[in-house]
Amino acid sequence: MAAGGGGVADPLSPAGVPCAFSPLNQAYFALASADGQLRVWETANNRLHQEYVPSAHLSGTCTCLAWAPARLQAKESPQRKKRKSEAIETSNQIDLLALGTAVGSILLYSTVKGELHSKLISGGHDNKVNCIQWHQDNGCLYSCSDDKHIVEWNTQTCKVKCKWKGDNSSVSSLCISPDGKMLLSAGRTIKLWVLETKEIYRHFTGHATPVSSLIFTTIRPPNESQPFDGITGLYFLSGAVHDRLLNVWQVRSENKEKNAVMSFTVTDEPVYIDLTLSENKEEPVKLAVVCRDGQVHLFEHILNGYCKKPLTSNCTIQIATPGKGKKSTPKPIPILAAGFCSDKMSLLLVYGNWFQPIIERVALNSKEPHVCLVRDISNCWAPKVETAITKVRTPVMNSEAKVLVPGLPGHHAAIKPAPPQTEEVESKRRLGENEISIEERLGALDIDTKKEKDDLPQTNSFPVLLTQGLESNDFEMLNKVLQTRNLNLIKRTVLRMPLHAVIPLLQELTKRLQGHPNSAVLMVQWLKCVLTVHASYLSTLPDLVPQLGTLYQLMESRVKTFQKLSHLHGKLILLITQVTASEKTKAMTCPAQKAKLVYEEESSEEESDDEIAEKDSDDNWDGDEEEKESEKDEDVDEENEEEEEDAEEKDEENGEEDRDVASEKELNGDSDLDPENESEEE
Amino acid sequence: MVEEESVRVVRCGGSELNFRRAVFSADSKYIFCVSGDFVKVHSTATEECVHILQGHRNLVTGIQLNPNNHLQLYSCSFDGTIKLWDYIDGILIKTFIVGHKLHAIFTLACAEDSVFVIINKEKPDVFQLVSVKLPKSSSQEIEAKELSFVLDYINQSPKCIAFGNEGEYVAAVRDFYLSVYFFKKKTTSRFTLSSSKNKKHAKNNFTCVACHPKEDCIATGHKDGKIRLWRNFDDGKKYTYTCLHWHHDMVMDLAFSVTGTSLLSGGRESVLVEWRDATEKNKEFLPRLGATIEHISVSPAGDLFCTSHSDNKIIIIHRNLEASAVIQGLVKDSSISTGLMIDPRTKALVLNGKPGHLQFYSLQHDKQLYNLDIIQQEYINDYGLIQIELTKAAFGCYGNWLATVEKRQEKETELDLQMKLWMYNKKTQGFVLNTKINMPHEDHITAVCFCNAEKFENPTLVTASKDGHFKVWILTDDSDIYKKAVGWTCDFVGSYHKYQATNCCFSEDGSLLAVSFEEIVTIWDSETWELKCTFCQRAGNIRHLCFGRLTCSKYLLGATENGILCCWNLLSCALEWSAKLNIRVMEPDPHSENIAAISQSSVGSDLFVFKPSEPRPLYIQKNISREEVQWGVFVLRDVPESFTSEAYQWLNRSQFYFLTKSQSLLTFSTKSPEEKLTPTSKQLLAEESLPTTPFYFILGKHREQQDEKTNEALESERVQLPLTENIPAISELLHTPAHVLPSASFLCSKFVNSLLLSKETKSEEIPEDVDMEEEKESDDSDEENDFTEKTQDTNDTDLGEDIIHQLSKSEEKELRKFRKVDYSWLTVL
Repeated sequence: MAAGGGGVADPLSPAGVPCAFSPLNQAYFALASADGQLRVWETANNRLHQEYVPSAHLSGTCTCLAWAPARLQAKESPQRKKRKSEAIETSNQIDLLALGTAVGSILLYSTVKGELHSKLISGGHDNKVNCIQWHQDNGCLYSCSDDKHIVEWNTQTCKVKCKWKGDNSSVSSLCISPDGKMLLSAGRTIKLWVLETKEIYRHFTGHATPVSSLIFTTIRPPNESQPFDGITGLYFLSGAVHDRLLNVWQVRSENKEKNAVMSFTVTDEPVYIDLTLSENKEEPVKLAVVCRDGQVHLFEHILNGYCKKPLTSNCTIQIATPGKGKKSTPKPIPILAAGFCSDKMSLLLVYGNWFQPIIERVALNSKEPHVCLVRDISNCWAPKVETAITKVRTPVMNSEAKVLVPGLPGHHAAIKPAPPQTEEVESKRRLGENEISIEERLGALDIDTKKEKDDLPQTNSFPVLLTQGLESNDFEMLNKVLQTRNLNLIKRTVLRMPLHAVIPLLQELTKRLQGHPNSAVLMVQWLKCVLTVHASYLSTLPDLVPQLGTLYQLMESRVKTFQKLSHLHGKLILLITQVTASEKTKAMTCPAQKAKLVYEEESSEEESDDEIAEKDSDDNWDGDEEEKESEKDEDVDEENEEEEEDAEEKDEENGEEDRDVASEKELNGDSDLDPENESEEE
Repeated sequence: MVEEESVRVVRCGGSELNFRRAVFSADSKYIFCVSGDFVKVHSTATEECVHILQGHRNLVTGIQLNPNNHLQLYSCSFDGTIKLWDYIDGILIKTFIVGHKLHAIFTLACAEDSVFVIINKEKPDVFQLVSVKLPKSSSQEIEAKELSFVLDYINQSPKCIAFGNEGEYVAAVRDFYLSVYFFKKKTTSRFTLSSSKNKKHAKNNFTCVACHPKEDCIATGHKDGKIRLWRNFDDGKKYTYTCLHWHHDMVMDLAFSVTGTSLLSGGRESVLVEWRDATEKNKEFLPRLGATIEHISVSPAGDLFCTSHSDNKIIIIHRNLEASAVIQGLVKDSSISTGLMIDPRTKALVLNGKPGHLQFYSLQHDKQLYNLDIIQQEYINDYGLIQIELTKAAFGCYGNWLATVEKRQEKETELDLQMKLWMYNKKTQGFVLNTKINMPHEDHITAVCFCNAEKFENPTLVTASKDGHFKVWILTDDSDIYKKAVGWTCDFVGSYHKYQATNCCFSEDGSLLAVSFEEIVTIWDSETWELKCTFCQRAGNIRHLCFGRLTCSKYLLGATENGILCCWNLLSCALEWSAKLNIRVMEPDPHSENIAAISQSSVGSDLFVFKPSEPRPLYIQKNISREEVQWGVFVLRDVPESFTSEAYQWLNRSQFYFLTKSQSLLTFSTKSPEEKLTPTSKQLLAEESLPTTPFYFILGKHREQQDEKTNEALESERVQLPLTENIPAISELLHTPAHVLPSASFLCSKFVNSLLLSKETKSEEIPEDVDMEEEKESDDSDEENDFTEKTQDTNDTDLGEDIIHQLSKSEEKELRKFRKVDYSWLTVL
């Protein structure tokens, strides 16, 4: 028939590239690419282990390959049980790799030594080798070829032990029975041979196209009551070129039944098949079929007699690129091979291109019928020579990573307010409801601007800019205001700013303080001013604790380095400012009035509520943080003790006291803020 | 079937590979290195271990090729024996018993029957170089007591001895002097450098020596980084030396290339320097080798170098200074502070690796997978620098998260801590930094643990620190308008009376968190972070803390520094039982109730396996290691074992690995030593048989025909060999195992005699060819018989056979033609 031609362009040659996982624990993945090179990859870390170019790689490209069974087994052939227990330690044993070529020669390559071990030519095939199978026990090698023959090799002497005609057309696939006494061969029909006599034991119908894969799926017959002769009752699986059905056959005691017992249906021609043998009757056979379209189909089935309907897969695995942006759609990444790990619970997937495949271990989750893994393989093209030798992997450290330094929110547990009392919530809401209409607000703004025009233009425009910036969250506008270095200007701006903008300003300042130290230096000046000037307002706020908690933590962590020094500094400043403050009070009355003007807008009817809220908030604060301090509030002489506390707290405590005292104490705020400045500059 | 075998402690992870210089085989295909009690044979091309030569009963201290037979290898050991190996097949050929503790071995081509060893005489610090005569005998074990003294007061390291100029002299260095012993003159000259009294030459100490292979030239390395080249040293007064200086720190090793044209040196800088023509100007460098170069060796063929490094690796380097392969054992770091972990994703063992890296070591394949660069800063190999250390690491959520803690501490008060949280990106199959936390705590972090319970969708991490706090970190949504992101934030900070937090761990279901504060164990509710209860036994600080699993999840175990193991019942909040046991390592098996504890006593370490529910251990193994055991971990087996005996049932599903102070990784195995050490016990199943290459057809054939006439004896031997199968001498030679054969010299005469006989029978050339054919036929006859029998069903058996036959005849004709043609060609030449 037409199967004889050979060559790559043959439509009836199986798709895919010869590749195989090493036996036992799948430590290596051997792949013979179309350019005739053999590459062995380490599955555990996806590293190219070795590369080998046969001398005749251009004329005789590799058509099939097979790993030799582990060396120890080949020598001693221990019982099955023992071999299983060996599985964990015998990694170095995997050694020989048999490569069949298009010209009919068979190469034995040693992966341990990295060189060609021997070459089987004499008396072998004179056409393309289609399949190679190692005998699991006695070190024999079976190969079949387009020249219609099956050859049994003795690998010890590298000579032909036996050669016989296997079919009338080319023989495309082989498989040795679990007990090692029988051999399945297939061209289009499947034959079961007795190895000892080379006689045909059974015929099976086979496929319409050349059979590309044959595997025994069970090692024990389904019903164990009957005496087991090593072959009767066993199931095997076959897949063929251009055939989307995988057939399962059973070896029966009588020679009548020649048709398939059941079949599995897949989406395209099977390229690579792996399965886990079931150890007992209850355990299902797990089957992974890689199709030509790059999908993996997983089947889980307990083989038990006939099934007319072709079975569909329990799970389909696909891999696709993420598809960046809107333009590029996700593209499928072909899966090249799939192998079950020794624990039977995970699958090794090989995907990507043949030259740089990616090997990944995927845990099996059979619940979902369709799994699509998104993998980005774009950077896998980069040459990896360096890492191949040093074996260093560098995890990605990009700028998107979140950075937490002491003082930033999230570095320390957030200060949580005590469970909010309903009253407060209501008052808040009312505040929200009673917002001034835009018209009113515009009017107010207009008045403001008009007024400010009378004063110094620069100073006056700053508060407006600031409020506008805060309201609109305009970064540039804020920058313009906040990046000034003029201390006086800052002071005046803070004095003139509307009270409702204080909290947003503080929050903006906090955000900026967390940023780059250079800009933070400027922000400290602003913060200092705001806290000194608007302490009384701040202390009236009911939800001050959650609002300024992060700022408090930030300040605390920043002044930590020189805690004692900063205390001393604070005391000194206090002494000095107390002297100056009394002088200043007169000067400050005028701007304070202005501030009152702005204040009126929202506080007109809220006064009573505010007072209650104040008290509440005070209680809360104390309850939260400082129980000891509860009684001392009213004492006026405590300044010196208090300065060791943070700024807000003092502001709070002083809230209800008269203006003069407050202003003095507000200055206490400096004491803590200044050292912060120092620490930043370092 | 398995239970009668007892559990033994087995080494894995490759012992120290960098103890001595590695040795290349003559063809540079293999490299040998000492590794504990074994010698390992690696392929230079694939890095794979081809054989493990085992037989020594103590540390192997030296290996050298047999200069008379380059397929054999000498090794010496602390057990006082020199062993001769056939490294191709991994067979022990002979054992020479010397008796003394041997520190190094040297072989010389000119000293045929003797080798040189370094032994220790009486005083602990006095070492001698002696030559040992290896007596010839057919027996396997030979006493070699004939020692002759060569040099005294030498350094014990083999780096300080070198033989030069084909064995004319030996140079040895120690402290401040170089002594050279001339074998012919039997004199010793000694050259001394100015010693430490002079401040300028404070670090003049010799560290290593190498001799030029062809000339009278000695290179010595010094502590200050200088290399001195000595010449004219056969004259005590006229000697000269030149200085080469590049290294800023001690020169660790020196080696001349095979031709002697270049000198290789290496040191702590981890840069291999090649000095061409021994001049300071012509230097070539191979930088960034990763760790201090301890040894350098050169292959006899001259095409490869190799460097052994302090981090337990051997780098094979091409002549053009390109690293081609790395043979890497378990990386040895100065200290393992991360402990042993299992990466849930790759099932690899994870611990400190190269400085600033985490190493992933595959236990299934017993090889290193890769190093993960956590710190990502160039490591400067310099003495006394304070480096950033990777102190803690933990995996969470099925390997999706990795937390690492690094620290740098220059002074007591200046502690720099950083915690990094890495997320595994499935798309790119790698870790990506998610959150970096500076100074997560104000003092050292003592423990890091993830909550791995399934019901917790939100990943939770707890860090405990000496600053008296433990912090709970949770993953929160950080999305803003620019990007979707998640990040870690601190959720809760807990403390207990300002005690230092020493350990933390989550219960199996994640509902409880146990944090130990010095002597006190506190239990916290992981939902609300409320303190539930405290346990205190007043028996010293808690060293280890763990919850029971599965059926024993109501128990909490704590091991204290005063040697008490306590088990508390969480339901009754009372002490269930306690035992007196000085526990170093306590490790729960994540897949069973079992807990393994390793206790330390003056004699050694003992292993106890127990269930928290009963105070009686399931299994005890005494003396698992002479050293202190530092870390342990349970690893789930891929394929469960089936031990029926109760004592071994704990090994059924899991395997226990532990790490000793000297960083050797050990485990328990029930397999017999032969089975465990597979690579030595088995051999390649197939013989090497490579067909002739085209190159051979061009050159080899001509030569063969050229030789044909003159060298008929050879031909006849090749042909006659199969015939002589019945000659006893040859059958003896061929069928006795190589390691029990008498020496070759003994067999030689017999063998040659047998061949001579056959030569007489030979007559002419052409009949001989016919003979050959016939022999082949007869050789194959057995197989052919089978062949014909088997192929009866297939129709055209005879045809195939005929083809073979005809082919051979036609070939013969062709060959004859060829021969004639070639003859003429030859005569012309």
